[in-house]
Amino acid sequence: MPGRNGVLSDLTILDLSQDVAGPYCTKLLAGLGAEVIKVEPPGLGDASRKAGPFLRDDPSPETSTAFLYLNTDKKGITLDITTETGAVLLRQLAKQCDVLVESFAPGYLERLGLGYAQLESLNPGLVYTSVTPFGQTGPYRDYKGSDIVAQAVGGMMYTIGMPDKPPLKIGGDVGLYTAGISAFSGTMLAIFARDTLGYGQHVDVSAMEAMALADIHSAIRFEMRGDDGARRESNLLHAKDGWVSPGLETGVADDTWPGICKLIGKPKLATDPKFNTKQARRQNQPEMLKIIGDWVATQPKESVYHAFQALRTVSGYVATVEDLFTSKQLAERKFFQPINHSVAGKAMYPRLPFTLEGMSQTTAAAPRLGEHNTEIYCGRLGYPARDLVALRNAGVI
Amino acid sequence: MTTAPLALQGVRILDLSQVAVGPYCTLLLGYMGAEVIKVESISRMDQTRGEARPTGNGGNYPGGIPGEQPWNRSVFYVNRNPNKLSLTLDLNEPRGRELLLDLATKCDAVVENFRATVMDRLGLGYQVFAEANPKLVYLKISSQGATGPEMGYGSMGYTLEQTGGLASVTGYTEGEPLITNQTVPDPIVGILGVGALVAGLRLARKTGKGTFVDLAQREATVSMLGEYLLDYSLNHRVAGVIGNRHRTTALQGCYPCLGTDMWLALTVSSDAEWHSLCQAMGQPHLAKDSRFQTALSRRQNQDDLDTIISAWTKERDHKQAMHMLQAHGVPAGAVLKGSETVVDPHLVDRFWDVLDHPDVGKYKQSSPPWRLSKTPRRRAIPSSRLGQHNKYVLVDLLGLSEQEVSQLEEEGIIGTKPIDE
Repeated sequence: MPGRNGVLSDLTILDLSQDVAGPYCTKLLAGLGAEVIKVEPPGLGDASRKAGPFLRDDPSPETSTAFLYLNTDKKGITLDITTETGAVLLRQLAKQCDVLVESFAPGYLERLGLGYAQLESLNPGLVYTSVTPFGQTGPYRDYKGSDIVAQAVGGMMYTIGMPDKPPLKIGGDVGLYTAGISAFSGTMLAIFARDTLGYGQHVDVSAMEAMALADIHSAIRFEMRGDDGARRESNLLHAKDGWVSPGLETGVADDTWPGICKLIGKPKLATDPKFNTKQARRQNQPEMLKIIGDWVATQPKESVYHAFQALRTVSGYVATVEDLFTSKQLAERKFFQPINHSVAGKAMYPRLPFTLEGMSQTTAAAPRLGEHNTEIYCGRLGYPARDLVALRNAGVI
Repeated sequence: MTTAPLALQGVRILDLSQVAVGPYCTLLLGYMGAEVIKVESISRMDQTRGEARPTGNGGNYPGGIPGEQPWNRSVFYVNRNPNKLSLTLDLNEPRGRELLLDLATKCDAVVENFRATVMDRLGLGYQVFAEANPKLVYLKISSQGATGPEMGYGSMGYTLEQTGGLASVTGYTEGEPLITNQTVPDPIVGILGVGALVAGLRLARKTGKGTFVDLAQREATVSMLGEYLLDYSLNHRVAGVIGNRHRTTALQGCYPCLGTDMWLALTVSSDAEWHSLCQAMGQPHLAKDSRFQTALSRRQNQDDLDTIISAWTKERDHKQAMHMLQAHGVPAGAVLKGSETVVDPHLVDRFWDVLDHPDVGKYKQSSPPWRLSKTPRRRAIPSSRLGQHNKYVLVDLLGLSEQEVSQLEEEGIIGTKPIDE
């Protein structure tokens, strides 16, 4: 568990959320030192336990990489909150906690007597964060979502991809992760306000709005220039072992050009009138990019990236997941750290995406389903061990 | 009318950030009540303000018209910089740096997003600020982080998508990664920066000491690929692109609708949702078709399904199709263009702030993706003109005399018009 000097080490968080967005939010909160108690339905657990990919492609609730990643540093208990007994236990926990994070459809927890207003009356200090596809209010509040749906309705997706093909979603679950990041920042703001004001509040986060905010171009371009933008061809160049962008699309500065000519083994081009002024290079840009592209095609992508950065151009290379693990930059910053999970074994996990000076980070593996039932129900709520047996038999935990 | 308290009431932020990621972060902090003082200089404005005398086709300006003070009305500057005060200070001049550090003693936090080396070159690194104000929280957002062999590297949103691994899983066809042209990491890391900065503020409250927060855009981008990273670490599998399809068993795609370049995205994750989709399309017999009976077989026969679904969507308006499918419980969303998000009833209800900007007129401004019930966002304040708050900062906060301010103006250390190079 993170050290006691953590930013949130005085806080306990009850995590009812599932899948990606909510769990990523609580993963970040846990990484800052909060004690996070993850509540999962008995038997099935969090939906991401079924998501995979799985260790050795062998599906098991304890070896889903999605679950293992999204739930580091948390304690895990099982509880069927749809039963009367389960709801009572949850209220007891909520009374003792500082923050609750959930991702159910709006209105669902209210119907179980576990909505914000109901828990606020028990614990006015509670920060209650709901992260859902469309938020708690508005005409779409009951609509269902997914990563691609968020990217579509948020205005993000329309301009991504090729002009002659359908709009393309950003890979991975970026829409859901962004909702999770938004829930994290929103929750941190509410915690900070609670420190000042002494009371909690309801934090309402929507994936659609997270994407609408992340759409940095389309809506504002329409508002101010009246056009919708369009999908464009990719400007990535083929290197020997993958793809790069040398960063020359917006022109090449005069003091950079001779260096590029030298780099590609054509020093004479530096004085060639076709390319020796900024204007000439702009006029003959396709030819210039072709010459550079021919050279790039013979080189390893990562060395092209470093060589062009050394010439102060803003270059990039398409890092595969494998390349990330061999990146010297990420290695020197100790970005990947080993974590041992009792079932899945040892793997390299990314640390928190930001660091605070003076705060040590050690990370614990994701919990097995119900791993901390005894600790929480007996240790924290004070139930005798024999009650756990009764609760288990009743299907409550 | 009683005014609700603000989450960041009384927090003052010195904002040295430029372009996208930092300005996005401080835009949101301003919404939540922080007083944000954005520092630029008349020789180095935020790049999104454009040139003093634009030479291009006016593409950066509302209606294509640069106007008399183009730097106060460029589209992306206006959009990313509401809720901030504007101060100019020439940081290449010793007096400029001195005033900046004076101001730092009156602030709770600094936000900047320069390359790692820039502030040090100006003699203004974290240590210098920490000496001036030991309680200061310093959020450094950079492409690669504040340390490491690539700390001095520059980046754009689209290069971060590459170096952060995102491009390698984005695309239509295996082996052909794509960048988004949307500079995805900038706004997202800006949103994350809010939580990171507040973490720093809370730590400072607890310990009575400031802290340095190191937020690398590349690392934040990589962090969104968690399951792929573990799949490599545990199974040595390198993820590739899968177009609009779902990573596991769900049926998912983007389908053409009535009209030009209109589309609908949908995801069907369960048998129940599949049955709902068949009902909604008026083809209940499909639910019994053995090709599509299980998640696995739907996945195997997704090409056939794509044809069936496309035939249905092609006849329909994308928004009507979305509402119809959602009424049946199918997760579906119209692929909205900019012209559609700004009038979308859900976003109009919850998200857009209509601003009346003195140099631009009325427009819809994006707002935070969270709603806090007891400390709501404040109404956005339009972006400031260059140097608009020089007097407020220098006289009211730092106690300079009007005469000293005029002197600074004469020396070109402050000003309200860019130096026309």
